[in-house]
Amino acid sequence: MITYDDEVVCAPRAGTLYDVLELILDRGMVIDVFVRVSLVGIEILKVDARIVVASVDTYLRFAEACNRLDLEHDVRSKTVPEMFGSPVAKTIGRAGAKRTARSLTDKVRDILTPEEEAAEEEEALPREHTRERAERGRPPQRPRTRPAARPRDEDDRPRSRPRRRTETEDQ
Amino acid sequence: MTAPATTPITASPALAALYVYGITPAGVRTPRSPGVDGAPVRLLTGSGLCAAVSDAPVRIRPRRRDLLAHQAVLDELAAQGPLLPMRFAVLSPRPDTLLSQLRADAAHLSRQLDDVRGCVELNVKGTVVPGHFADLVRRDEKLRNLALRTRRRPDYEANVRLGEALAHGVRREARRAARDVLEHLTPLAVRTVRGTTDDEQVLSASFLVRSADEQPFRQAVDARARECGGRLALSVTGPLPCYSFVDPSPSPTGR
Repeated sequence: MITYDDEVVCAPRAGTLYDVLELILDRGMVIDVFVRVSLVGIEILKVDARIVVASVDTYLRFAEACNRLDLEHDVRSKTVPEMFGSPVAKTIGRAGAKRTARSLTDKVRDILTPEEEAAEEEEALPREHTRERAERGRPPQRPRTRPAARPRDEDDRPRSRPRRRTETEDQ
Repeated sequence: MTAPATTPITASPALAALYVYGITPAGVRTPRSPGVDGAPVRLLTGSGLCAAVSDAPVRIRPRRRDLLAHQAVLDELAAQGPLLPMRFAVLSPRPDTLLSQLRADAAHLSRQLDDVRGCVELNVKGTVVPGHFADLVRRDEKLRNLALRTRRRPDYEANVRLGEALAHGVRREARRAARDVLEHLTPLAVRTVRGTTDDEQVLSASFLVRSADEQPFRQAVDARARECGGRLALSVTGPLPCYSFVDPSPSPTGR
């Protein structure tokens, strides 16, 4: 089964551009006689990038996982990664989280790379990094569960989500 | 979805507007990395100081490419010695404005350069690890009772309440770990600046660390990561130009 890999959790991640974004944009010197070009959209970017998909969906996933713990006997179970992949979690939680992540991604991408020539495809910052960040709030998709989680990752692509479901959940 | 969410801003119409990367002591080599919008970077020198600049692009937007260019130029300068990095997208209307600013502010700028001399910035972030609560439920009697009650009488409301309590518990544990990490790392740094945190990213701090102390610092982070990796996932970014350790606005009293 899926095992929880402590090593992966413990090893500090190498920093990405996303991790220094706030420094480049918020820190550093500004001299008053100079002009700081106002970057329209950047405030939205910063706020959105911090959006955490924490909500009832998350709570229900926690509860579902907890309900599968053996509370009567103090078994030393290391953790519970597969819990988040349970069928219940799947039906309840996914769509909302995905929707948020996707619209966030799109918005950020628009901000960072408006219209622009095709050569800008390499401007992958918003998609990759924002997704990565947003997904920190979404345990099931963490790369930690790697090989076993593959099929589920595929599931997660927004486009593969049945359209009808979304609409149902919107109501 | 095709409409851009941002209106590109037209930079100062003045022909000679300069994009400013950072300020160093005079005598550094010109960075070879291309600047924002691919413009070549050059140095303006005056009053014993150097400003790395390039022609300002017509429009500035926070594109990945340009953010990385800004960062690359600063990295190259920082590798040569002390550096006061500018925030992204700072322009000077004209070269003479920039030079007179250097002159007016020389003492203050030099003092700041001394403050960061021989130091790098390391940024440490910590995010909540959600898989941690099995242990928490067993330890925390209130949670455990709530879990047992929910199990006996499961319904939607009860599950939400239980989940919320667990989420809070996990976050509380992560915050505690974050405080612990800060306590351990702060003494290893010359200065520390805390950044914004939220429910998910509960630790964000920049440390001004002497270059010689970078390895010990990283080892300390590794040790903390091993210690609290089940609750808090740590990441280190750096060495960075000292973005967080310059006065944002160096001459408050003006000239």
